[in-house]
Amino acid sequence: MSTPIKRVVVVGNGIAGLTAADSLRESGFDGELTIVGDEPHPAYSRPALSKALLLDGDDMSSHELPPPTHGANEIRGVRASGLDVERRLVSLEDGTALPYDRLVIATGSRARRLSDLPEELTLRGLDDALTLRGRLAASPSVVVVGGGPLGMEIASGCLAAGCRVTLVSQGTPLIVQLGPYLADVFVKAALDRGLTVVETGGARLEGQAGDARVVLEDGAVLQAGLVISAVGDVPNTDWLADTGMVEKGVLQVDSRGLVRPDIAAVGDPAAFPTPYGRRRIPLWSSAIEQAKVAAAALVRGDEAPPLRFQPYFWTEQFGLSLKAVGYLPVQGEPTYVEGGPGGSSLMRWSHDDGSGTAVALNHRIPIPRLRRLSQGTG
Amino acid sequence: MKIVIDRPRCEGHGLCEEAAPQLMHLDDDGELVLDREEISDADASLANAAVRVCPVAALRIA
Ligand SMILES: Cc1cc2nc3c(=O)[nH]c(=O)nc-3n(C[C@H](O)[C@H](O)[C@H](O)COP(=O)(O)OP(=O)(O)OC[C@H]3O[C@@H](n4cnc5c(N)ncnc54)[C@H](O)[C@@H]3O)c2cc1C
Ligand code: SF4
Repeated sequence: MSTPIKRVVVVGNGIAGLTAADSLRESGFDGELTIVGDEPHPAYSRPALSKALLLDGDDMSSHELPPPTHGANEIRGVRASGLDVERRLVSLEDGTALPYDRLVIATGSRARRLSDLPEELTLRGLDDALTLRGRLAASPSVVVVGGGPLGMEIASGCLAAGCRVTLVSQGTPLIVQLGPYLADVFVKAALDRGLTVVETGGARLEGQAGDARVVLEDGAVLQAGLVISAVGDVPNTDWLADTGMVEKGVLQVDSRGLVRPDIAAVGDPAAFPTPYGRRRIPLWSSAIEQAKVAAAALVRGDEAPPLRFQPYFWTEQFGLSLKAVGYLPVQGEPTYVEGGPGGSSLMRWSHDDGSGTAVALNHRIPIPRLRRLSQGTG
Repeated sequence: MKIVIDRPRCEGHGLCEEAAPQLMHLDDDGELVLDREEISDADASLANAAVRVCPVAALRIA
């Protein structure tokens, strides 16, 4: 691959696409750079949507990112509809096509839905967040379906907005993501603040426009002014259906984020090698690390270092702020490094392979220190 | 150029420190400390990387 790279196209204008564009420049690419995104907005912070943006009174800027410096030609509000890998062409829904020498796929994911009912709100994009904020102003009763971090953050935001909130969860909320010990800490805090938690098997959404209800596995029916689901994400890979690159909706990449030598896939839709097998890690710092590595690999090939991702996860809800380095969920009881149960604390779980997971709860700590702690060298 | 912190907004994630440990660090209380007032051109891309990675947009370049 020694032909000079003249044109790079990045599809998707989220944090992964933005970071890829920045990193291409840092790796020395000074040719023509184009970013296409289907949202009308400049790239913003998605994690803020379910945290500060839902709560922050009149401050509507917590999601804004500083303006980009990569000097790319930005095409906003236009969807990429197809890819021809032989001719190296990205086709756009407005009928135009973009030729490339290297391509970055960074189209993220969308919210999985339980129904087509317009009453079912989801939270993935800025427009969703603004809609939700608007609806919360009237303090409706709310049912949130989904006991993962996002569902719990939304429930927390709705409670703080003065709504009566019921959370419908398959099993204990957060147990799948965090493990039983931490899930218990969060559920207690949530119940203390007045959240109603309903555990069920699969819940369904039924009814018709104007009258939606949540039906639990045992047939019980919940009705509310507002139904919000947070039941996972679906990678945006539909536009790549004809390329043969998509497997079960996901793009499999190598340790440098490449699907093939001229195409990288980064962020939420990419499954990359981890010590626990190839997986998607649809999180903020994962998107950033993947994008940096892949951009360098597109420009410099195998000289560029492979990804050595150490998961970093955080959440804020019900007055608790958690930061975790290392693989989650964690099983069993932690060792308390600082503090103790019920207060600001620093915990560690050891895994059989010698690695560990370090967790700070309501405790400000530099991430590098948390990383050292997870590795047992802190 | 300079990096400016919006203090009330900073949540002490320290992802910025990880991106540019030469330019900033969190102190023992988890407060972000900028180690260099003035950012040279040579460090501009480092500074940009640090600003960009903050998920709550607490940093900007001025
Ligand atoms: C409400 C919410 C809260 C979250 N909180 C946290 C958190 O606390 N911590 C954490 O680590 N992670 C969190 N996440 C996950 C994190 O935000 C994502 O992992 C991250 O944003 C992924 O970035 P990305 O660039 O891969 O995808 P995205 O941010 O989804 O960006 C992809 C972009 O591509 C666009 N696009 C899609 N298809 C096309 C197409 N065909 N043509 C053109 N453009 C297209 C999309 O509209 C979007 O703008 C949260 C996510 C949500 C939704
Ligand atoms: S990344 Fe942002 S929130 Fe975290 S310490 Fe840096 S400035 Fe503060």
